[in-house]
Amino acid sequence: MFEWIQTSIDGIVDGAIYALIGLGLSLSYSSLRRLNLAYGAIAMLAAYCGAWVAFQGEISMVLIALIVIGVAGLIGLYVEQLCFAKPLQVSGRIDNASVTADAGIDQRDLVALASSFAIWMQLEQLAINMLPRHMNAFPAFDADATVLLPLMGEQLILRLDRLTVAVLSIMLITVIHRLIKGSRVGLAWRAIAEHRMASHLMGISVDRFQTVIFILLSSLSGFTAFLILAIEGQVTAMFGMWMLLKGLTAAMLGGLGSVLGVMTGGLMLGLTEAWAQVFFGAIGREFAVYALLFLTLTLRSGLAARRKEQHFDRRVVPR
Amino acid sequence: MSDRVFGSSSAATGMDGAIAKAVRQSLCHLPGVDDAGASYLVNVLSDISILSLIALSSYVLLLSGRVSFGQQAYFGLGAYGSAVGTVLFGWSLPLALVFGIACGAFCAYFLALITRPLSGLYFAVASLAFAEMLRLALSSWHWQVDRGGGPVGPAGLEGFRSIRWLYENNVAPEVFLLICLALLGAVLIGQMLLERRRIGMSIRMIGYDEVLAAAQGLPVDRLRLFAATLSGGLAAIAGGLYAHRTTYVEASLFDPMLGVHALGYALLGGLGTALGPLLGVALDLGLLDASRLVDGWRMVIFGGLIAIILRVRPRGLLDESLVNSTQRRARHIVGRLRCLISPHRDLDAQSSRDAIVPGSIRKS
Amino acid sequence: MLDIRDLATAYGNIEALKGVSLTAEAGKVTCLLGPNGAGKSTLMLSLSGILKPHRGSIRFQGEELLGKSASYIVSRGLALVPENRLVFPGLTVRENLLAGAYKRRDSAAITADIERFFERFPRLRERDHQLAGTLSGGEQQMLAVARALMSRPKMLLMDEPSVGLAPMIVAEIFQIIEQLHLEGTSILLVEQNVHMAMRVAQKFYLMERGSISFSGKATDLRDDHLIQRAYLGQRHAA
Repeated sequence: MFEWIQTSIDGIVDGAIYALIGLGLSLSYSSLRRLNLAYGAIAMLAAYCGAWVAFQGEISMVLIALIVIGVAGLIGLYVEQLCFAKPLQVSGRIDNASVTADAGIDQRDLVALASSFAIWMQLEQLAINMLPRHMNAFPAFDADATVLLPLMGEQLILRLDRLTVAVLSIMLITVIHRLIKGSRVGLAWRAIAEHRMASHLMGISVDRFQTVIFILLSSLSGFTAFLILAIEGQVTAMFGMWMLLKGLTAAMLGGLGSVLGVMTGGLMLGLTEAWAQVFFGAIGREFAVYALLFLTLTLRSGLAARRKEQHFDRRVVPR
Repeated sequence: MSDRVFGSSSAATGMDGAIAKAVRQSLCHLPGVDDAGASYLVNVLSDISILSLIALSSYVLLLSGRVSFGQQAYFGLGAYGSAVGTVLFGWSLPLALVFGIACGAFCAYFLALITRPLSGLYFAVASLAFAEMLRLALSSWHWQVDRGGGPVGPAGLEGFRSIRWLYENNVAPEVFLLICLALLGAVLIGQMLLERRRIGMSIRMIGYDEVLAAAQGLPVDRLRLFAATLSGGLAAIAGGLYAHRTTYVEASLFDPMLGVHALGYALLGGLGTALGPLLGVALDLGLLDASRLVDGWRMVIFGGLIAIILRVRPRGLLDESLVNSTQRRARHIVGRLRCLISPHRDLDAQSSRDAIVPGSIRKS
Repeated sequence: MLDIRDLATAYGNIEALKGVSLTAEAGKVTCLLGPNGAGKSTLMLSLSGILKPHRGSIRFQGEELLGKSASYIVSRGLALVPENRLVFPGLTVRENLLAGAYKRRDSAAITADIERFFERFPRLRERDHQLAGTLSGGEQQMLAVARALMSRPKMLLMDEPSVGLAPMIVAEIFQIIEQLHLEGTSILLVEQNVHMAMRVAQKFYLMERGSISFSGKATDLRDDHLIQRAYLGQRHAA
């Protein structure tokens, strides 16, 4: 019984952190209506920059954190302009047709998806060029500090740094949630997510707004990466992929675009991982996570996606 | 990427057959190519043909409007399936390849079946999850059988060794290259023929605008399933060839990066023709690999290239408009040639539409 | 107040507006009539900055607005009630109104305006915190009009406010338009419902296939032949 509680608590702690990873991805999806596959790579390159700077000498962790956050924001600007901003007008003729196209998923969204993964490959290579070793040291929190809670005659062990980051994640998610629901900026953001063209009519500078939000979310992902890597004490070449997958899973489990959803998704992910590890070992754990994601997509989100993305059920159309 | 996928280029040779010699000698005729260069070329061309097949698998699916990050799964199934065929069942390579294709095609069909209602984005992620599940399953698969000189067969994380059919049957690398090229050629011809027929055009229509296609009465689901099955089979051929070439496969080789690259080749090369993915592969392997200068920057250039090209040409380099205008120009030239050959013949409506021949009467 | 000269807008290669010229005076209701596909909505979207015309001039209160962003145009006092309402379905009624007031910073006055809106449309007061997507067509239309008014525009553009609504609701909507006119709001109205439009408008323009073919006072429109053209376009009118 005690193991169950310890495992569950570990899962929840990890889950809160996963939720923070997923938050950046989920929010950028709802404003862009496109998935940013370079999400993990942006954070990774920024983290590598931080690690590289840390290599140079005794630099304070706060400074490293600021560097990672700032660099992530800059890279985010690059990615946004290249992949997601309004398409370049090559012939000089104004592209009016795409403006009034309806809100479903279409060719251009898949192209943006594709070009964002191209940038993912690019950013990852840049990072590896910077620090060619597979594993690199990262400025770390104190890994030995633990919190011990007596329970049922035994002691629950919680690493202090993990716990702090988890609590920080929950606080950050709550703050962002409040901002989105309550502030003027949050209202504009939700309006854009609802209907882009109508938002233009309200006087919202949609393009500038999206660029700024993207930069902020990239910085957030940099901050998240910093916290996670400071717990681990190292960063590997797989980090970009890892972060994207965790974020994607957490976001999709709870439903893309919803803050509460990503919180739920993150917790589900954390708990599933923790329990699957106990029962099935390392490979089983990975498998269980993917299986969970797959089932959610095909069963639940499959229905939600059909409702939201398509404007009429094609089976209704007579053959 | 080729060295990641294929390990170091193999130098193992069986008995040099007459064919092998002929291939080498013809390659040596190319400027600046000596014997060592010929070996290198044989390897690179084999790589290109195998990668082209998996790029084509992404292409076929993209035609139907689906982005998949999971093609590496069918590659893996093809690899393992055909390896099981030759090593554990003692089949010949062709039969084993067919078996591998069946595995890949069936799995792709199954996935497409259950993901029917999903929109493009959710399908992409689902394909990734599915592929990873398959990879993890393959990496835990143990089926060792004693065949004379020790146990063979998939050994979980350690992979599947001793896939030696090519060596045991004295198939030289040059002959293997011919096999790959023949298969690739057959696939290309088949695909191009398919695209000329109604079924191919219908699949393309679905890719352009699913809703419109359904409104025209096209059986969207069924055509999508067909495209998916085809794509699974194609990736599986590539996997089977790869497994026998390198004699060793392990599940970790079939990670998302492979599928992402396949997708990249198809998108970059262009969706207008089956030659598009080949262009993408050739660009990556041929140019960037050959110029050692850009060794550590290959992905930087390749990734940036894809992003930039997609901005200005969302359907890739060889997109439909380019293909159409090329075909029109070709028809125009053919029409002119025809007139040169027999200048007094009455022009039929077809050529009078595209050819401007002085002194002839234009039918309106 | 609003002076449009030779405006031309294209979708790729297709020219939807082929040189439109019209004037909408302050304090009046100007109506744009015409059959489907004539380009009326394209004109509205071009005026509000969503579509970019490639030729012509849009002078609003003496200022040239051609090529300006939608955001800037709203801040200059031109607000559009778009075709099909386009309320934000996932936002509440109140949030929709607040969105309309996005460019304003005077929160006390905004709250006062919202109060006035509920007085004008009492039926919607009870729906204050209801999601706009759950409202009926007529309620959404009222919401769309009020939302546009929240930016305190100097001129209101309305694109087919009566489309898809039941006759009783249509009458209500036109009553609102009449009321706004009496209060001094300048309105440029696009409508298919010629009879109702004639009752509120002082001036009309007939638009066919991308350009203006007729203009005149509302009383001129009593000629049956012109009404047929307004509905069906020149080719099909007897």
